[in-house]
Amino acid sequence: MTLSDVTLIPVARQHWLTPSRAFGLGLLALLALFSLLGPVLLGHDPAAQNFAASLAQPGRDYLLGADHYGRSMLVRLAHGARLSFGMALLTVVTAAVPGVLFGLLAAWRGGVLERVLDFVATVLLALPGLLLVLILLAFAPGTFGPLYLGLALTLWIEFYRMTRATAATVLKQPHIEAARLLGFGSGYILRCYVLPEIRPILMTLTAFGMATAIIAISTLSAISVGLQPPTPELGAMIVELLPYYDEAPFHVLMPALLIVLLVLGLQLTARGEVR
Amino acid sequence: MNAPLGARGLVVSGLSVAAGTTTIVDDVSFTLSQGRPMTLLGASGSGKSLVAHAIMGSLPPGLTASGAIHLDGADLFAADDRPDTRWGRTIALLPQEPWLALDPTMRIGAQVMEVHRHLHGARPAEARRRGLSDLAEVGLADRADAYPFALSGGMCQRAAIAIAHAAGAGLLIADEPTKGLDAVLRDGVVARLRREVEQGRLLLTITHDIAVAKALGGMIGVMLDGRLVEFGPAAEVLERPRHDYARALIAADPSHWRAPSLPAPTDVVVQGHKLAKSFGGRELFSGLDISVRRGEVIAITGPSGCGKTTIGNLLLGLAAPDAGGVERSRGVAPQRFQKLYQDPPAAFAPHQTLRRGLEHLLKLHRLPWRQAEEAMERLALAPVLLDRRPGEVSGGELQRFAILRALLLDPVFLFADEATSRLDPVSQQDVVAILIDAVRNRGLALLIVTHEIALAERVASRVIRIGSDLPLAGGGDA
Amino acid sequence: MGRLLLPRVLQAGLVILVVGVLCFVLVRALPGDAAMRIAAGRYGPDANITEAAENVRRELGLDRPLLVQLGGSLGQLLRLDLGHSVVTGLPITKELRIQLGATLWLAGSALVLTILIGPAVGLAAGLRSGGFADRVSLGGAVILRSLPPFVLGLLLILLFAMNLGWFPPAGYGTWRDLALPALTLALGLAAISSRVTRDSVAGVMRAPYFTFARLKGLPPAVVVRRHVLRNAAIPVIAYLGLQAIYLIEGVVVVETLFGIPGIGHALVHAVIARDVPMVQGTALVMGLLFVVITAAVDLICHWLDPRPKRA
Repeated sequence: MTLSDVTLIPVARQHWLTPSRAFGLGLLALLALFSLLGPVLLGHDPAAQNFAASLAQPGRDYLLGADHYGRSMLVRLAHGARLSFGMALLTVVTAAVPGVLFGLLAAWRGGVLERVLDFVATVLLALPGLLLVLILLAFAPGTFGPLYLGLALTLWIEFYRMTRATAATVLKQPHIEAARLLGFGSGYILRCYVLPEIRPILMTLTAFGMATAIIAISTLSAISVGLQPPTPELGAMIVELLPYYDEAPFHVLMPALLIVLLVLGLQLTARGEVR
Repeated sequence: MNAPLGARGLVVSGLSVAAGTTTIVDDVSFTLSQGRPMTLLGASGSGKSLVAHAIMGSLPPGLTASGAIHLDGADLFAADDRPDTRWGRTIALLPQEPWLALDPTMRIGAQVMEVHRHLHGARPAEARRRGLSDLAEVGLADRADAYPFALSGGMCQRAAIAIAHAAGAGLLIADEPTKGLDAVLRDGVVARLRREVEQGRLLLTITHDIAVAKALGGMIGVMLDGRLVEFGPAAEVLERPRHDYARALIAADPSHWRAPSLPAPTDVVVQGHKLAKSFGGRELFSGLDISVRRGEVIAITGPSGCGKTTIGNLLLGLAAPDAGGVERSRGVAPQRFQKLYQDPPAAFAPHQTLRRGLEHLLKLHRLPWRQAEEAMERLALAPVLLDRRPGEVSGGELQRFAILRALLLDPVFLFADEATSRLDPVSQQDVVAILIDAVRNRGLALLIVTHEIALAERVASRVIRIGSDLPLAGGGDA
Repeated sequence: MGRLLLPRVLQAGLVILVVGVLCFVLVRALPGDAAMRIAAGRYGPDANITEAAENVRRELGLDRPLLVQLGGSLGQLLRLDLGHSVVTGLPITKELRIQLGATLWLAGSALVLTILIGPAVGLAAGLRSGGFADRVSLGGAVILRSLPPFVLGLLLILLFAMNLGWFPPAGYGTWRDLALPALTLALGLAAISSRVTRDSVAGVMRAPYFTFARLKGLPPAVVVRRHVLRNAAIPVIAYLGLQAIYLIEGVVVVETLFGIPGIGHALVHAVIARDVPMVQGTALVMGLLFVVITAAVDLICHWLDPRPKRA
C-alpha cells in the first residue's frame, strides 16, 4: 500500500559499487592481469611441444601441468584468457559504438532513420543470434571473421534499443523542456542530462555483451565450427583434452573453470545487485 | 451479514509509532464514535497515514506501535492479538487510488464475491448472490463482469466500498479517498462516505484536503510532525482553530484567501489569435483568442483533459497550433518567457545538485552568484538545500527553487501549469504569494492553469473557463 | 487473434528472407564451380551432374540479373522445395522430417523439466524474499548462468556418465539417452526463469492490490492462489519468449555435444561440410521453430492478461 508518510521511513542509500559488483570487478581485474601479464612473464610459446612432458601433472616444471602434446597448460590458459577477453572486447566495442550513436540519433531525430534502424534490428532479431553466426560461419569455418561479424551484428541491437529508449524517456521529461526554456542548448542537454542516464546502462550492456561473446566463441569452438586447434582457445582446448579425461581430469576442467570465472565476473559486474 | 455490525466506538490513547529509536508518530489520542466521523488532516509526512495503519495493524516492517487502541472495548494491542483476524470482519480499509488496489486481472464481481466465499465461507451460489447485491447497493450491479481497467476512478472507489460491505466491517478507514480525483468525482466520494456514517459505521478519513474534512463534518484532527496538534468538532476547528499550524492550514484554503491588489495592466507580452488544437482526433478548442498583459494574472480552469495546459504551451511556443497564430512582443529575449511545472521534481535533472544546476544557469547567462544567494534569501530557501538533489528536497521548496530559477532570467511572462496542485495547502499559499508578489513588483504577466476554481477566482484578474460543456471524459481516471 | 499473430507471421517471413538471402550469397561465394554445387543440391546424386550443371548455368545464366536469380531461389523456398543434401544426396525435406522428431523430443522434454523446476523454485523464493530458499536459489542461479550450455553438459556427462555411470554419455533412442541433454537445457533455462518468477512474485507482493487483498480479510493462502499466481505468471510467461532464444541456441549446442541426430546437430555438420542446401533447410526449420514458440507465448500471455495492450 502506498504510504503518504513514506518519507518518514528511513532508507539506506543505494551505492553504485555494491559488494557483488565489487567482487565481479575484482575477479575480472585478476583475470585481466593473468591474461595480460601471463604471456609476457611466462615467456613460453603456447605451441611449444615437449612430448616427454605429455599430460604432465601440475608440478615444478609445469605449474599447472602440460597437455597431450606437452604444451604448458599455464601458458595456454593465459593465452586463452587473453584471446577470449580480446575478442569479446573487440566485438562489444564494435557493437557498442554504432549502437549508442544510432540510439541517440534515433531518440533525437526519430523519423525515417529510426524506422530504417528498427527494421534492420527486426530483421536481424528474427533469427536467434547463434543461428545467424552459424550461417555466416559456413562462409569461412574456423576463422574469427564471421564470428566477429555475426556477434557484432546481434549485439549492437541491444545497445541501440536501450540507448534509444533511455534517451527518449529522458528527452520527454519536463526538465528537458525547462532547460530549453532557460536557454540551454542541445550540447548541454546531451552532456549533462542524457549521457549521465545512459552511462550506467552502458556498463551493464558491455558486461553482458562480453559474457555473450565469450560464451558464443568458446561454444562454437567446442563444437568445431569456431576457432580450431592449435589456437589456444578455451572451448577448443576442452574438447582437445576430453579424450584424456581418465588420465588427466584436472586438465579438462581448468579451461572450463576459466570460462566460468570470466562469465561469472562479467555477470556480477553487469548488475549492481545479485539477482 | 451485510447489515453494519455496529461498532460503537474506537478509542486511541497515547499512540506512538517508532522506526528503531526514532519516533515518527508521537502520543496521538482521540475517540471515534457512531454518527460522528473523524477526519485527520495534515501534510504528507505528518504521520497521519501511519496512524491509520497502526489501527489496522498493517504497519510496514521495521515500524513498531505503542500506546493503546480499543475497538468496542477490545484491546487491539493485546499480546495474543492477531490483527489479520480483524481485517475485513471488523475493520476495513478504503484504499487510496483504488484503481491500483483492485486486482487488475480479475473481474470486479469476483473480487467482491470471493470475500463471501473465502472470508465467510458461503457456498459459491450464495456468495455470488450476495456479491451482486453488494455491487447493486453501490450502483455497480451491471458492472460485475468488468475488469478494473474498464472502470472510472469513482467506480473503483465504489467497488472498494462494496468489498468493505461484503466483509461486514463496522469501522471504515478511508486513506486519502479523493487522491487523484477532480472536484466533481470528489464530491461523489464524500457523499458516499456520509451514507456509510448514516448506516451506522464508524469512519476515519485521512486526507490533506480541507474541503473533504468540511463536507464530512463530525470531528477533525490536525497532525503536524507526528503529533495531533488540534482535535475537536469540525465546525469549531474550521472556524476557530487554536494551534498556529491548524490556523495556518485552514487559512491556507483558497476560499479563505483575500483577493490580491494588482497593478493596472500595461503592454501585451503575448497573444494568440483564433487558436485551434486537436488531440487524438478530438478537438480541444478552436477560434480561441487570448492576450496576456504585464501586471496581469490570468487563470484557465476546466476539467482534466480539456486542453488547458496546451494553451499555455502554445503561447510559449512549446507546441504548434493547428490553426491561428501566436505573437510575442518583439525585442524580448526568448528566455524571458518561462514555465513552472506540476510535478516539481520532474522539472529538475535528477542527478544534478541544485547548486550545480544554478551555477550552470548563471554562467550561461553571465550572472553573478550573488544574485542567486539574494533570491534564495527572499524566497526563504536555506543554503543547505543547495547541495541536495531534487529528490531530497520537499515539493514546496523545490517549486520555490523553480520560481527562483525563472525569476533570475527576469521574465516578462510566466506560465504556472498546475504548479501548486501537488503541494500541501500551506506551501501552496506560499508559492502563490511569491508569484503574485512578482506580478506586483516586476510587472510579470502570470498565466495560471488550475483545476481549483476557488484558487482561480481568488487570485486572477480574469478567469477563462474551457471545456465546461464537454462531458467529463477521462476526468480523474488514472 | 489475427492481429496478435500478425507480427509473428511477418517474423516467419523475415526468417525465410534472411536464411534464403544468406544461403543464396553463400552458394555463390564459396570457392569452386557454383553451377556444379547448385546442380548437386537441386537434382540430387542420380542426375548426370555435368549435364545438370550445364542446365543450371544456362538457366541461371550470368546474363540474368542477380535479383532475378534471388527471386527464383526465394520462390523455391516458399514452395518448400529445399533440394538435396550435397553430402548424402537425400532430399532435404526427408532428412529434416526425421531430425525434427529428435529435436522436438529434446526441446519438449527440456521445457517440461524447466517448468517443473524454475517457477516452483522461484515461487518458494519470492514468497519469502530474502529468506533461506531465496538465497540458496540465488546462488544456484548465479552459478548456473555462468556455465555455458556446453560446459554444463560436459560436467553432467563427466559426473553422471563417466564417474557414476547412471546415464549414457551420448546416443539417441531411449529416455535414458535424453535425460542428460534435456537436463542440461532445463537447468540453464530454470536458472533464469526461477529468478524471473521470484522477482515477479516479490513484485506482486509489493503491489497495492496484494496488500488490499490481505486487508479485505482473505487468508494468505487464498490471496496467493487467487491473486498472486496469475499476476506473477504474466511476466514469467512473457519472459519465456526471450528464453526461446536460449532454448534454440542450446538445442544446437546440446545436440552436437550429445550426438543427438536432430536439426541442430545437422546444422553444425552442414556448416562444417559446407553443405549449403542442408544449412539452409536446417537453419530455416530452427528459425521457424523459434517463431512458433514465441507465437505460443504471445497467445498464452494474451489469455492470462485481460488488460488492453499498449501499442
